[in-house]
Amino acid sequence: MRHQVVTLAMGVGALVAAACNQPPPADVPAAAMALPWDSVIAKARGTTVTWRMWRGDPSINRYIDSWVAPQLQALYGITLHAVEGQGAELINQLVTEREVRRTVGTASLLWINGETFAGLRRENLLAGPWAGRLPASRFVDSASAIIMRDFEQDPAGFESPWGQVQFALIFDSARTPRPPRTVAELGAWIREHPGRFTHDESFTGMTFLKTLLYALGGGVSQYAGGFDQTRYDAGRARLFAWLHDHEREFWRRGEAYPRDVAALHRLFANGEVDFTMSNNPNEVASKIAQGILPPSARALLLQDGTIANAHYLGIPFNAPNAAGAMVVADFLLSPEAQFEKMRPTVWADGAVLDVSKLSGHWPLSFDSLARDAHLVPRDSLRRYARPEVAPEYHQQLQQDWRDSIRASPPKRE
Amino acid sequence: MLVLSAISIPVIVGFGYSALASVGVVGPAAAGFTLRSVINVWRDYSTWQSVGWTLWTSVSATFVAALLAIEVSVRAPRQNRVVSVLLAPLAVPHLGAALAFLLLLGQGGMLSRLAVAVHLTSAPADFPVLVGDVVGVGFIAAAVWKEFPFLLLVALSASAQQIPQSIEAARTLGARPSDIRQRVLRPQLWRAIAPAMVAVFAFLLGQYDMAALLAPTRPTALSLLTMERWSDADLSRRNEAHVLGLLALAMVGVAVWWQAIARRHTHAESS
Repeated sequence: MRHQVVTLAMGVGALVAAACNQPPPADVPAAAMALPWDSVIAKARGTTVTWRMWRGDPSINRYIDSWVAPQLQALYGITLHAVEGQGAELINQLVTEREVRRTVGTASLLWINGETFAGLRRENLLAGPWAGRLPASRFVDSASAIIMRDFEQDPAGFESPWGQVQFALIFDSARTPRPPRTVAELGAWIREHPGRFTHDESFTGMTFLKTLLYALGGGVSQYAGGFDQTRYDAGRARLFAWLHDHEREFWRRGEAYPRDVAALHRLFANGEVDFTMSNNPNEVASKIAQGILPPSARALLLQDGTIANAHYLGIPFNAPNAAGAMVVADFLLSPEAQFEKMRPTVWADGAVLDVSKLSGHWPLSFDSLARDAHLVPRDSLRRYARPEVAPEYHQQLQQDWRDSIRASPPKRE
Repeated sequence: MLVLSAISIPVIVGFGYSALASVGVVGPAAAGFTLRSVINVWRDYSTWQSVGWTLWTSVSATFVAALLAIEVSVRAPRQNRVVSVLLAPLAVPHLGAALAFLLLLGQGGMLSRLAVAVHLTSAPADFPVLVGDVVGVGFIAAAVWKEFPFLLLVALSASAQQIPQSIEAARTLGARPSDIRQRVLRPQLWRAIAPAMVAVFAFLLGQYDMAALLAPTRPTALSLLTMERWSDADLSRRNEAHVLGLLALAMVGVAVWWQAIARRHTHAESS
């Protein structure tokens, strides 16, 4: 009996010791954000920055792990530690950390946009403002409505722009030599090819539904200017009518949907459906290079307009290394990092810089890159780009789609 | 006793937190005691679709795996080379098993491609839907493949330890081999693996990895539904995830209670 008590006491003692071994309290992010830039770099030198981001794309991971991280190590001695974390999960974790009064969090940098940003701001989980203090922020394309407004919200310095993308369909030119170019043509194509089209349940699928929402509702301008319940209800009614109309010709008769865009890519690559989608049309080039998509795959921008949005970097309220995070964000905004990111063989993500504000060889380099045959031409992107609207549209649409379209069996007339 | 309390304290704390969260007392969007989350879950049709599908697949997979385990251990009471091969899936993680069955049984998978190659079908869509289907064929197959070796191990150890005495006794009383199998061996094996079956049922009920790959969209598995509520952009729906978690716990509790009652009943019978 004594033996067991002693063992238990030792175990408890070890636990208590481990719990008391808290990391030394870091400075509050606000302190780091008030420093002049040289001091920020000095503070960040030799430190580790934990960055929570979406790790679902090997090309992006390779860019971060094989190019960005070594550069940061060489230039600033910063060790970059990129880990998985996105969307509601980030909000959940930060809320939990605040509930237990954890003033020193786990991550210093977050990859966010749209409704995640809205959620984090609403709950006061972001530190800032800081984005304007970055030296590279003077190169940002401040005239772009896509970059300066995140789902109609003002970043207000609480997030720093990183890249921009535009929604596109992807098809195989060998299988589908004459793809539809408008929403109306898409509807007709789905009728003629039953079981060969679907969308996913996650972010990309919802972006597709929003594209339809705008197109069927007379354009995105109808939904600009904040969330309006009446306009949303009318738009949703039209969208759901269209979906009900075409559901039976969807893959698996609309009774099942791939869980996320990766599952949809798999269906497309397997030849089970003829279209997949992406928030980045230029990823067709990088995915062909990796052998994931067939060489005849092409991106398609619907002429009714496709949604373009930017993605950003944020610093949480309890970041252990805000100075390091700011230095990382500044580096990612630099012409070198933006150029490398834009290369079709790397990531093909749009740059957020105004090329005319750059000097040296950069304007020429960016221009020639934009004219690369593998990328969707810049003027096409611009012609069909439509900005995101208030995040409530996205959230309500996702909820209503789950409750109405996904939940009920398709109507059989 | 001390070890038991050391293990159970975190479970009790977690259960207590969940219980409080489901009535809105704790949690990020907590606004005081409210039955709103419970009512929302209760009223939601997809909750019950989910519960139905999850119960169906967990129960059938458990029983099929148990049946197979008993039949094998009846015929091969000692661990031999064949049995060693049958135990191999124990080393494969559940996610690996799910992926393997997806690649095998999916409409874009190996069997489908084979069917196209021998001209049985002409397109992936012609192959029957075996994963992500409402009946849960793919999920049940993967679950059986994974759980059968575990139950077989339990059955074999029961065979080796407890049962030989009963068999010896029956033989001296003049029973035929088929009678021994039917009236001594099989009932005793079922009794022996019953606790393990409850464990398997509980595990499959909460399984996430396999459900993520093999479960249909509608109805969806309870674990997937719970995760969806947990990750909802609307923080107040997080509490519904706690309600769903407690619902799953309750179902496991019923299974444990049922097994305890059945055990007491058979003990009463045999004494």
